[in-house]
Amino acid sequence: MITKEEILEIATLSKLYVSEEKLDDLTKAMGDILAFADTINAAGAQAEEYEGLEGLSNVFREDEVLPSYPAEEILQNAGGGENGYFPVKKRK
Amino acid sequence: MSGMIKTIGGLLRQKKVSCAELTQAYLDGIAKDNSTLNAYVRVTADRALETAGAVDRKIAAGEPLSLLEGIPMTLKDNISTRGIETTCCSRILKGYTPIYDATVWQTLQKQNAVLLGKTNMDEFAMGSSCETSCFGGAANPFDTGHVAGGSSGGGASAVGGNLAVYALGSDTGGSIRQPAGFCGLVGLKPTYGAVSRFGLIAYASSLDQIGPICKTVSDAAAVFETISDRDPMDSTSVGRKESVLAQLEQKPDSLTIGVVKEYFHGVEPQVETALQEAVRTYEKLGAKIVELSMPAISYALPVYYILACAEASSNLGRYDGIRYGYRAEHYNSIHEMICKTRSEGFGPEVQRRILLGSYVLSAGYYDAYYKKAQNLRGAVIRGFEETFAQCDVILAPTVPMTAFPKGFAEQDQVQTYQTDICTVPVNIAGIPALSMPCGYDRKGLPIGMQLIANRFEEKKLLQTAFLFEQEMAGEIYRKTEWGCRQYA
Repeated sequence: MITKEEILEIATLSKLYVSEEKLDDLTKAMGDILAFADTINAAGAQAEEYEGLEGLSNVFREDEVLPSYPAEEILQNAGGGENGYFPVKKRK
Repeated sequence: MSGMIKTIGGLLRQKKVSCAELTQAYLDGIAKDNSTLNAYVRVTADRALETAGAVDRKIAAGEPLSLLEGIPMTLKDNISTRGIETTCCSRILKGYTPIYDATVWQTLQKQNAVLLGKTNMDEFAMGSSCETSCFGGAANPFDTGHVAGGSSGGGASAVGGNLAVYALGSDTGGSIRQPAGFCGLVGLKPTYGAVSRFGLIAYASSLDQIGPICKTVSDAAAVFETISDRDPMDSTSVGRKESVLAQLEQKPDSLTIGVVKEYFHGVEPQVETALQEAVRTYEKLGAKIVELSMPAISYALPVYYILACAEASSNLGRYDGIRYGYRAEHYNSIHEMICKTRSEGFGPEVQRRILLGSYVLSAGYYDAYYKKAQNLRGAVIRGFEETFAQCDVILAPTVPMTAFPKGFAEQDQVQTYQTDICTVPVNIAGIPALSMPCGYDRKGLPIGMQLIANRFEEKKLLQTAFLFEQEMAGEIYRKTEWGCRQYA
């Protein structure tokens, strides 16, 4: 069973805050979801049999330089930016 | 059934209706019914009328129209549209306006497709009822107390409610087929790689695929034929541009339909009865029916949720509030800004899936969950390969039940996940499948039938579906408001 401490650790890795009042409910919900995910263990050793079966291969192409999107347009989604950069507040 | 696209295209070419009048009729429909259906989250009236004007000028000049030219349609809110806000129905992308178009939208714009607006969806396509949308869920046109399904619920609600001729949705674990099934429509999830995903905001990249939601098989064939192509911007696109529509009416030379028993576990009796009836219809039409077993189906659901959430936790790492979308107001450090932005911007279901994904990818649990799920993905792929050695097309339910009442999905996440049991195996294997109506339950809600084919066999899939539609048209479509408002 997943513990509250594990939830908080995973939340830190995921860059999410979990408030104290939501922690109990979230721990229960995650426990239920993981119990459901655990049902793959019913497959037992069968899983090993299929290791690498997908036979996936990477697709490569020649690197080609094409025009990029204009920086000004990209910055429009960040309030126009400041001096061509994405602004964030200075640490106090 | 000749399909709405052909019918409406004919009316435009014969000048029985102008594209501007047609578009205005749909916009009026949206103004009247969208407050009830909540299918659209953004209506692009000016742009739609502008395109319609261009189509009318072409008609006046006697220029020929392409297949989808002038046909009013919608895009799911996770398909990037240059200059039109695209939010994935998430607070975190509020205000985000893409500076480029998804390849599918580029293709459709070249054909003067009339974009009526962007449609509602579960937040980041994570859900089966459309209710995780930050705009609230979309209603089922058959009974507005029931959901339209998810995640492409807005598209299905719009097409089912006659507020668009067709919709483009995306299907990661059933998000085109399930809402199509719930709303009595034809929804096609193409083979992984058949349609470019460039500009589709990612949920789970190894599973996501764009496809159409329409009223008829012929409409689905027309849209699929147009959008399926190789795209250098999507390295997973394979693109086998082939003409499907012209050969739609050809009966497959021989047709063996597989009925896989595992697909029928826990299916509601009314749904099972309708599907048995569909099997008998195919038998009557000359198909050979074989009963098969595919044990790997029983692992498909946890495999799907583990892989999808793992990929989502990585894909959604990009939302940090710095470059686009929502940013938390008060913070003392960059780290705090990112954490606050994500905690305030993502809804609870998205947060749960990110947490699950981070968990199954973390050092202590990677082998127990992610690696095992990847291996079992191989078992599902092998299972389908063996099944397709014995049949051409698999017939299965789309969902074990008809549309849920509103609020059902919020009560129990795991129970809701389990309703995806019939749709997720297809995404795991990357094969094509469609949902089409095959009957109604006692409440009058549509029952979806799922047809599944092997990789890149969309033509056979659509031909098989067309055969059934021709046979059943009068019966199945008696309750759908066939036609385009006053014009068809």
